Amino acid sequence: MRVFVSEPLPNPAAEGEPEFTRADLVFYGVDHSGPSFEARVYLNKPDADLSTPRDPEAGFAGSFTIFGHAGCAGDVGHCDVPTGPRDPFDVRPPHTMTRQTKTVIITEALRRVTDPELTITVVPVRPGALSAETVDALVFDEFRVLTYL
Amino acid sequence: MSTGAVSPQHPSVPLRHRLNIDQLSAEQLAAFRAAVSGMMGISDDRGYNYQAGIHGLPLPISCDIAHGHPIFLPWHRAYLYFFELYLRDIQANVTLPWWDWTSDRHVPAAYNERDVAGQPNPLYSAKVDPLAVQQGAAEGDRRGDVTRREPGADGAPPLPTAHQIEAVLALPGFLDFTHQLENYHNNVHVWVGGHMGDIPFAAFDPIFYAHHAMIDRLWRMWQLRHPSASFPHSLLGEALPPFGMTVRETLDANTLGYDYAVRGSTGAGTGTA
Repeated sequence: MRVFVSEPLPNPAAEGEPEFTRADLVFYGVDHSGPSFEARVYLNKPDADLSTPRDPEAGFAGSFTIFGHAGCAGDVGHCDVPTGPRDPFDVRPPHTMTRQTKTVIITEALRRVTDPELTITVVPVRPGALSAETVDALVFDEFRVLTYL
Repeated sequence: MSTGAVSPQHPSVPLRHRLNIDQLSAEQLAAFRAAVSGMMGISDDRGYNYQAGIHGLPLPISCDIAHGHPIFLPWHRAYLYFFELYLRDIQANVTLPWWDWTSDRHVPAAYNERDVAGQPNPLYSAKVDPLAVQQGAAEGDRRGDVTRREPGADGAPPLPTAHQIEAVLALPGFLDFTHQLENYHNNVHVWVGGHMGDIPFAAFDPIFYAHHAMIDRLWRMWQLRHPSASFPHSLLGEALPPFGMTVRETLDANTLGYDYAVRGSTGAGTGTA
């Protein structure tokens, strides 16, 4: 996916919601098999793109960076993560392409959003010697916005 | 950041200190370059290409078990430990320097000079293992067989700031700390770009080791600031292949014989009584 825009969520920082000391945006099941890229996260900026600055005023909340595999150098099946139950006598470490979890601390950015709804936009950017580009490498299973007292 | 401690295993033997690359004396830098150059001239498993290939291509990519995982810091500590031993096989007192990218916001000068005294600078670039190049090319990689960099290319994530690193060092829990630190580590890889920018070739770039020495130093600093913080118990016995070490054996840098300082120089003692 080149740019991810979430459906509107209830905003945990909206007026009347409980105070929090920290807020995390957690992405689960993040793929890292492709190229490296920075996933820039914006709050309530659904039109964010490659040109949107990393400024709080632009809704920038932080980023996570994938240090990628840039493809699979093995034979067919080498990078396929096994599915199904694991043999209890299989002591091998987890498959190398097992998806990851990425946490972006968004405490201050979330406090700036007072709208009743929250939209998450993620722009995956791969730098380039000539120019940066969005990259079709952003894959994840789900995300959560978590606040803590 | 040095504690000045003696080795816990050998009380009369001082620890070795890894120093800031920008603070090395001319003699220290020359010795380090000689050691790296010497490793690059060895084609067997003591050599630079073999050691670099442990991290990435050629297959297997051993670091795969470490990235995005709580053993990220232990695995790379073990990696640097053995790499440094091979350097010292060539130059007895060499240690890996660290690149403080929070203060030196460019590729350090020691790594950025193409030639030194009329000779190629071994810290500027390195040849990539031909089998790694071949395996990468099969996947469409066109980076070539000599490492290059594209520091701060358009769209690159910024280098971490001192303020950001201070915030990470303040995190009290290990899992939170390592997760956030690894992300900043990723940023530096992508900021340097070129071969450093993706896992398969990153460790062929000589600057990889200065970057990871900085990461390892930050872990050491965090440990000193949070002495009561514990590593996840269930992972202490985890093996760190191919190093023949467990997580537990990496937790104390001093037991591995080193610590971190900004600068260091050594004077002679009085000799025997």
